[in-house]
Amino acid sequence: MPDIPGKGLVKGLGVTLRTMLQPAVTTQYPREKETPATRARGVIALHQENCTVCMLCARSCPDWCIYIEGHREKAPPRRAGGRPRQVNELDRFDIDYALCMYCGICVDVCPFDALFWSPEFEYSEERIADLLHDKDRLSEWMETVPEAPPLEVGAQAAKK
Amino acid sequence: MALTEQQQRAYVASQAADARLNVELQTEDMVLNIGPQHPATHGTLRVVARLDGEQVVWADVVCGYMHRGYEKLTEVRTYPQITTLVNRIDWLSSFANEVPFILAAEKLMEIEAPPRAQYIRTILFELARIANITLFIGTMGADLGAITPVFYAFRDRERILNQIEAVTGGRFHPNFDRIGGLKDDLPRGWIDETKNAMVRVREFCDELEELLMGNEIFQARTRGIGVIPSDIGLSYGLSGANIRASGIDWDLRRDQDLPLAWKDLDWKVWTHPDGDSFARFWVRLQETREASKMVDQMLDGLPAGSIQAKVPRIIKVPAGEAWVHTENPLGEMGYYVVSQGGLGPFRCKIRSASFNNVSVLPWLLRGAYVPDIITILASLYFILGDIDR
Repeated sequence: MPDIPGKGLVKGLGVTLRTMLQPAVTTQYPREKETPATRARGVIALHQENCTVCMLCARSCPDWCIYIEGHREKAPPRRAGGRPRQVNELDRFDIDYALCMYCGICVDVCPFDALFWSPEFEYSEERIADLLHDKDRLSEWMETVPEAPPLEVGAQAAKK
Repeated sequence: MALTEQQQRAYVASQAADARLNVELQTEDMVLNIGPQHPATHGTLRVVARLDGEQVVWADVVCGYMHRGYEKLTEVRTYPQITTLVNRIDWLSSFANEVPFILAAEKLMEIEAPPRAQYIRTILFELARIANITLFIGTMGADLGAITPVFYAFRDRERILNQIEAVTGGRFHPNFDRIGGLKDDLPRGWIDETKNAMVRVREFCDELEELLMGNEIFQARTRGIGVIPSDIGLSYGLSGANIRASGIDWDLRRDQDLPLAWKDLDWKVWTHPDGDSFARFWVRLQETREASKMVDQMLDGLPAGSIQAKVPRIIKVPAGEAWVHTENPLGEMGYYVVSQGGLGPFRCKIRSASFNNVSVLPWLLRGAYVPDIITILASLYFILGDIDR
């Protein structure tokens, strides 16, 4: 190319100059934090009262990282004079986040709305065994579960 | 080995010339291992090259360091669980991996997703393509010694990933496609944000066209390097931008009738006659821009309505066999699903693009110089998960 020598260099330095005058896009993570999207799959929260120990989530988990144990209990009848009811009580509900693939199938299949996604992500541990969250820890995440965002124009609300 | 007679003769002649030179200079061949841990392979690919001086006389690709056995794993998973596995095949454009699998299952079940779901699928497919190829544009520069483009690429890919995350909940592994539709509809305000992001994508393409493609060093290092003639490309089963850069006008988005939105759009398939590293870069850059225009068109023409067809609660796919392939960012990706009527497939053959794309390397690297190996590897653009599955 019959060009002025050093034209490419000047062009490149021009880019440098332009970029230098722009604000930085980097977020200095531990000091400033970005808010994740509302739908972000950060951690699974458990609403203990809704769980009926039906085991659907544990069975549909692709890597079997949900551990559930429960027992049957007699509950007082709904109406006076009725028979006592049988209810399932939850003894253990553990999710091993060291195994979890964050696919969200358990949240989808839960027929009683006991599992929810929360966008929280800061729960790293020094020991891998501590990533096993028990039911109390999972219930604590319930506070961070956001409302589902409104849908875009033209969307049809899902039937329940 | 698919060599034309002319190439064979040229090869024998070059070998003879090398041998003469070796006798004169008493040189010995040296075996150079590029990888398994080499930054230019972007993962764990090993290229064994026998060198004579600076020239490669023989090369072979050793893959399988990252084999995760997805074809076998699909046999012990149910259909809804498999999408979360196939996300991880080509991890830079995960959503695009789900689509052909779900389409194959839908073909067997003889259901079709509603138009709105088809459109959203195609939008996310193209966003995955942009996110994937944006990174290629950056890393191609990085492999050739230019550090700036990779930072620009990561900066602008972030916008696309944010859009994908806002709708699917996952930046890399969306797991958003369901048999008969999608998991959820778009959140409010997403269309406008995505349109802004598409403007930025086009700005990025313009910027990189000027900054990288117009650069003399870049042109000197890519023009005429790693030329794949169209017949060689076809005989090795190359697909995607690699074959379009060799002048073959072949694009599965246009050439087949799938229940996706591409047939309603006005777009162009880009080809380049040269077949060298520069052509492959050029085609991919044009495709990124074209994809951003396609996303704009689809966002404007997004039909209203439901996003989920009626499917049974427990999905059982009737017995039969189905093959569906789509034009993924890296090339042709297909699934051959054999069902025996159970909850999961009996057998699932996965055809991923990169495995065939790297198979041309032994042919392509012969006669290349050592610094050009990196250019060729970068321009072929493979993803290790896509090679080894």
